[in-house]
Amino acid sequence: MPVEAIASATGTTTMEITVSKAELLRELTATQGVVERKTTIPILSNYLFEAGGDKLSLTATDLDLSLRTSCNAKVKKEGACTIPARKLHDYVKLLPDADITIKLLENHWVSIRCGRSNTKMVGMARSNFPSLPAFPTAGVVKIPGQVLRSMIAKTGFAIASEESRYTLNGGLMVLKPESITMVATDGHRLSHVERPGEKFEGVSGEMKTLIPKKCMDELKSLLDSTDAEVIEFAKDESTLFFRIGQRLLTSRQLTGQFPNFEAVLPKDNNKSITLHGDELSQAISRVAQFADERSRAVRLKLEKGELKLSASSTETGESEDSLEIDYNGDALTIGFNAQYILDFLKAVGAGDVKLELKDAQSAGQLRPAEGEDYKYRYIVMPMRI
Amino acid sequence: MGKIHVLPEHVANKIAAGEVVERPASVVKELLENSLDAGSTRIRIQVEAGGKKLIQVTDNGCGMVRDDALLAFERHATSKIKDAEDLLSVATLGFRGEALPSIGSVSRLRLETRAPDEPSGTIVEINGGKIFKVEEAGLPAGTSITIRDLFFNIPARKKFLKAESTELSHIASLVTHYALAHPDKHFELHSATNAMLVAPPVAGYSERVYQVFGKETLDQMIPVAAVQPLERIGLPQPPPWRRSDPSGGNQQEPGEVLDPAPFGEMRVHGFVSKPEIQKLNRNSIYVFVNGRLIRDRLVQHALTEAYRNILPPTVYPVVLLFLELPSGEVDVNVHPSKTEVRFRQGTVMHDFVRDSVRAALMKARPVPQFAVEINARPTATPSLTPGARAGNVAASAAWRDLYAPAEATGFSLQAPVPPPVNENFQFGEAFRVEGNAALSLARAPQLIPTDGCTPPVPDEPEAPSDLAPSLASLKPLGQIRESFILAVNHEGLWIVDQHVAHERVLFEKILKQRAALKVESQRLLMPLLVELTPAQQAVFSEISDELAQNGFEAEPFGSRSIAVKIAPAGVDATQVEHMLHELLDQLSREEQSINLEKVRARIAASIACHAAIKVNMPLEQNKMEWLLAELAKTDCPMSCPHGRPVVLRYSLKDIQKAFKRI
Repeated sequence: MPVEAIASATGTTTMEITVSKAELLRELTATQGVVERKTTIPILSNYLFEAGGDKLSLTATDLDLSLRTSCNAKVKKEGACTIPARKLHDYVKLLPDADITIKLLENHWVSIRCGRSNTKMVGMARSNFPSLPAFPTAGVVKIPGQVLRSMIAKTGFAIASEESRYTLNGGLMVLKPESITMVATDGHRLSHVERPGEKFEGVSGEMKTLIPKKCMDELKSLLDSTDAEVIEFAKDESTLFFRIGQRLLTSRQLTGQFPNFEAVLPKDNNKSITLHGDELSQAISRVAQFADERSRAVRLKLEKGELKLSASSTETGESEDSLEIDYNGDALTIGFNAQYILDFLKAVGAGDVKLELKDAQSAGQLRPAEGEDYKYRYIVMPMRI
Repeated sequence: MGKIHVLPEHVANKIAAGEVVERPASVVKELLENSLDAGSTRIRIQVEAGGKKLIQVTDNGCGMVRDDALLAFERHATSKIKDAEDLLSVATLGFRGEALPSIGSVSRLRLETRAPDEPSGTIVEINGGKIFKVEEAGLPAGTSITIRDLFFNIPARKKFLKAESTELSHIASLVTHYALAHPDKHFELHSATNAMLVAPPVAGYSERVYQVFGKETLDQMIPVAAVQPLERIGLPQPPPWRRSDPSGGNQQEPGEVLDPAPFGEMRVHGFVSKPEIQKLNRNSIYVFVNGRLIRDRLVQHALTEAYRNILPPTVYPVVLLFLELPSGEVDVNVHPSKTEVRFRQGTVMHDFVRDSVRAALMKARPVPQFAVEINARPTATPSLTPGARAGNVAASAAWRDLYAPAEATGFSLQAPVPPPVNENFQFGEAFRVEGNAALSLARAPQLIPTDGCTPPVPDEPEAPSDLAPSLASLKPLGQIRESFILAVNHEGLWIVDQHVAHERVLFEKILKQRAALKVESQRLLMPLLVELTPAQQAVFSEISDELAQNGFEAEPFGSRSIAVKIAPAGVDATQVEHMLHELLDQLSREEQSINLEKVRARIAASIACHAAIKVNMPLEQNKMEWLLAELAKTDCPMSCPHGRPVVLRYSLKDIQKAFKRI
């Protein structure tokens, strides 16, 4: 029975179920990230429990992001209740590995019995719990889970922490019939990853979706812990839906215009060098110790056969490192924020990277030297030092 | 018959009274100034019913002979100036010769006076402008003027008077200010039931401040003193006959000797408050020019400038400032009430005041203390429980509470509730003027040695002389709400606002980098289009060069928008637009023309604010240590560029006191 169908079976004032501790705890843990921490609305720190058929469905929401999941349960009386989320999670963790009986009492109190343990918790009226949008029946796209996970990992770090007119607190996902692309930027750098050669049924032309950062983070952690190979994605005017196995993540859509990133992608960066990722990362980390604490500016000096990295500040001193490179072009000096480069090197993992530059004023591009299945490029704007 | 006729004198006097005599306090002011001009050393003021019923000012000055006493009530009769030339250098407080006839025309006035070398004195009684009685009498030397039933013949004006307590508070604050300006004279102010102020002569200003306001206030103030020779740049020299006739004054004006040295000098001294004292209006700024209380926009602007980046823009400090300059340098003949003056060299004066006050503030490096709050609420511990920000607010709220009663008096310096030291006087009720509050300072002279200028309070707290070494020795303990760093050293407990601390560090660093032309900036991924209002546009075109020097690169884009391509490093791209708007708005609100230095400071403050770590940000131990060490290195670690305090200190002594250990 689909999870959302259970919701319709509620409205009664009774509920009694029995569920195994291990299964309940697994779902409680998975949903903890969504439960509002600093809520001003009390109901949002509660779970909604709904029992129907042979399933118990759990819902947590902070109004922007909701997660609904379910587990097997013996349902004695169908119904629904709400239970304080954090307290329940902490309590269930401590229970012995046995069956737990959950029963709704009067005045929204909930009794939780497990072996010789007996607890009553103060819930709230089920009607207070916000109603959640239903998963659309049409326009569902199947996306390979690990592809999506990897793409989020490659772009998520470049998302601006705050929203402004031309950066969004989220990433852009572009679905085409035969490729998927994800882009994120904070106005100083841009991370762009494309995965060609996937088939997406039901997608015609281009399907652009803005995904909030919090949703991307939650999606990634759900993908980390799932064995489902394919997830289902759908959206309506205001909501995004991701179904991962029995779990359904819904998120409010970001509104706004993602910047025209294609205009930013450099086209004629003719000075290209190949570097070993780890070596570059270590060299930058070393010299960045002596960079200005605020701007983290390091200077890259491209010479024949050598890349010199340096940083200096009036307070701490100066530092220089150099890497051997295969380069024969004109010399060039350019400044970058060390953190921006380190972020990329961390996301790209081991292996060689390519640094492509044009001049000291134009954007630099970094990408893995061996294109695997992903077309991954990272654009960093230079600094004026 | 023509329609125009000359007003009879009594009508003219009443009209003049409208300008000069606004309320009882203005009567007190005129009489007080006369007494001071007469060289008195002892002035006693007695008021009843807020001055509506009775005002009596008694002095031991030079007095008047019978003819003078009568002439004094003629309009424009004065001993203080002789001809129009004298107006160029008025050295006395009064000079118009309008006060006595004006006051006489709206009250029942009794003048008792005797010049010291006359055998007998004169009594003159005037009733609504008509001389009632003139007789000879045996009187003490000096003058006593008694005003009864002020405005008895102008019911309209009488109706507009405020409550007795309000009028009394105006008088009280007025007398207080003159007492402050003349520490070498004895002042007494009595209401019908109480002695409100008794201030015997003392050696210096700080002792007078101590007398009037108590030690706590004195501790919150920083002394200012500076001298600067005047150079009359580009100003016309006085005419030769002025220079050749230096003794233009008469015996009433012993100080009126035109300085034969060409220019003389400007002096400023007084007290300015530490930045943690913040008033919501300018009522606590007192500026005296040659002993005259004035309200002058120029001086006020100079003070605002001095406190720029120390106090937030909408709050004001407490200031007692005495300016002394050659009498030829200032024109007091601007308005009958004489609270406005014109400076001959306004700019020089302005810069002098600004620089002197700023230098004093920088030198003192004052650090806010918790002591204030502890005193406000003797059970100290609760004050430390809320977040430091709340504590800070509470501290300033405590100040506001302390000052609130005084606020009504128009002067808000008031002794906080005194610490439980016997030597301290009970100032707590001072100026909570209800007509019976007392401020008894009669015992003061025995306790104040006349040599030093510091009040002899036995337990002088360890001087917060130099803050930097104290800050450098701080050891961070942790954060409150991930916003405020708690730290300790041998002096006690400190709370540091991490955002403003970082802001201060960055501010100075940015200014230094700017000065060294080593500004680092970050190119934006795509130009940021910022739309400007016309006012912002005007400011932008004025300061665009300076912005470029600070790491902004922006080009006009269409009629009223700009495209920002490069922004200062450290500022998030998301913040750039907001920051530009804020900066341009601030500068467009400036009343005065924009000078480069101010723009630089504003830009730096704005960048610093947006690049600094925010509150609600967890910091690791070494980050906190780093921040405190950096803060210790700054020139002005006590307040952020926008004027908020950075650190609060709860001294060991206060902690011990709160735990009743000492």
